[in-house]
Amino acid sequence: MAARRVPLVLLACGSFNPITNQHMRLFELARDHMHSTGQYQVVGGIVSPVSDSYGKQGLVLAKHRVAMAELALQSSNWVTVDEWESQQPDWTETVVTMRYHYGRILKEYERSVGMHNNSNPSPQLKLLCGADFLDTFKIPGLWRDDHVEELVGHFGLVCVSRGELQPERAVHESDLLSYHRHNIFHVREWVKNETSATEVRRALRRGLSVKYLLPDSVIEYIHRHNLYTEDSEMRNKSAVLRPLVKQAQEPVKSLDD
Amino acid sequence: MEGHSITKVVLLACGSFNPITNMHMRMFELARDHLEDTGQYKVVRGIISPVGDAYKKKGLIEACHRLEMTRLATESSDWVMVDSWESLQPEWVETAKVVRHHYEELLEAEQNFDDVDTIKYAKKRRIEENYHKHRDGLQLMLLCGADVLESFGIPNMWKQEDIAEIVGRHGLVCITRSNSDPYKFIHQSDLLWKYRKNIHIVREWVTNDISATHVRRSLRRGQSVRYLLPDSVIHYIKEHDLYSSESEQKNADVVLAPLQR
Repeated sequence: MAARRVPLVLLACGSFNPITNQHMRLFELARDHMHSTGQYQVVGGIVSPVSDSYGKQGLVLAKHRVAMAELALQSSNWVTVDEWESQQPDWTETVVTMRYHYGRILKEYERSVGMHNNSNPSPQLKLLCGADFLDTFKIPGLWRDDHVEELVGHFGLVCVSRGELQPERAVHESDLLSYHRHNIFHVREWVKNETSATEVRRALRRGLSVKYLLPDSVIEYIHRHNLYTEDSEMRNKSAVLRPLVKQAQEPVKSLDD
Repeated sequence: MEGHSITKVVLLACGSFNPITNMHMRMFELARDHLEDTGQYKVVRGIISPVGDAYKKKGLIEACHRLEMTRLATESSDWVMVDSWESLQPEWVETAKVVRHHYEELLEAEQNFDDVDTIKYAKKRRIEENYHKHRDGLQLMLLCGADVLESFGIPNMWKQEDIAEIVGRHGLVCITRSNSDPYKFIHQSDLLWKYRKNIHIVREWVTNDISATHVRRSLRRGQSVRYLLPDSVIHYIKEHDLYSSESEQKNADVVLAPLQR
């Protein structure tokens, strides 16, 4: 009897400043890949824009970033936007966001499946990210060790790279990541596509076209609200990224937040 | 008051568009931004001209489908449109002829517009207006990727006089992909170098290599191509079940039309 596939939800955290076609491609590529392993059934995708208190340079208001993501995902029947993280009073650690969503998913799953049949595998939640994400683990003060452990060990990563080998190398060069390498899924995007939100913002500042890089509805929204100008890019210019401040202050706690 | 004049430009892209992708559409946007940034041009229209079936390229599906997909892709654009003339010709048409055809059509349209106008002007003023119009004029430029520019070097692919006509009488707007050096290629060709002023190189700083080949490959393998081409085009492809292993084998043992001549 064939093993049942694990229901899988993919969560992408990030600025989404703004959301682009590349972001949405990540979900498509990840879904195809996880299906092809034969072990998973991707049942949902969540875009979780970071809150304003993240303090990243050029970050426009969360309400706009959420609205744009909603417009972009209108035509998707499996990926949705979630505002929870963006509405928290302070910046939220990725792991905390994952715990929140996993709790919801589990509850929903138990409700729909009922408790009578325990042979069905429980759902899993994995973090969907780009290749550059793995390199951020090395940045001092940005991640707590116990969080990285929980993220890759307990939850798992689906990492989409643009054809290069850097993510495999990043795993190889880290003992912690290597230890959990079975829980880090590498997805290759063979189409070389360097479109990034940074480039999109740059083009917008210069009055250049971004058509076909993000949905028309999002471009319209941006123009209507005049987001992404030279001024907007200067926001938070001299601020320190919130995680670096928050985590420097706290003593290392275990899983009780 | 005569300032420096602005030339109106129409961009023409020829190709298989098998299928059209967001990258094709991006080319137009990049070209327009680049030309208008020089302050010398105003891009007024973009034309996509899918090649006819007689081109005999491997994997080329019927022109009627490629036309419709392109039409769907241009629906959301207010300046780029699809043209079926080339695809409706019984034999394969050299690019220079396609350029010539569209240029003549544009001139005729301008002429008709002029005729209506000149009735309103005094004779003297009309002559002055026409002189300026022909000097500033309307230019048709061929829009392409660096691979097309480099195909000028493939033996028997292009007639020298055709290249001369396209770059000499009209113009070329070439979008570079990251792994090519168009300036070097131009430098190494006496013909291209002669008309280098008519060749506009647009550096694509953000590589966007959505090739139709890759799209067809993904479709054959049942992988998602969402966000690489417009949803309406993907829908059309699924509805008509285009792009399979069979369709990719079409013309597999046939020689490409230009090389047959």
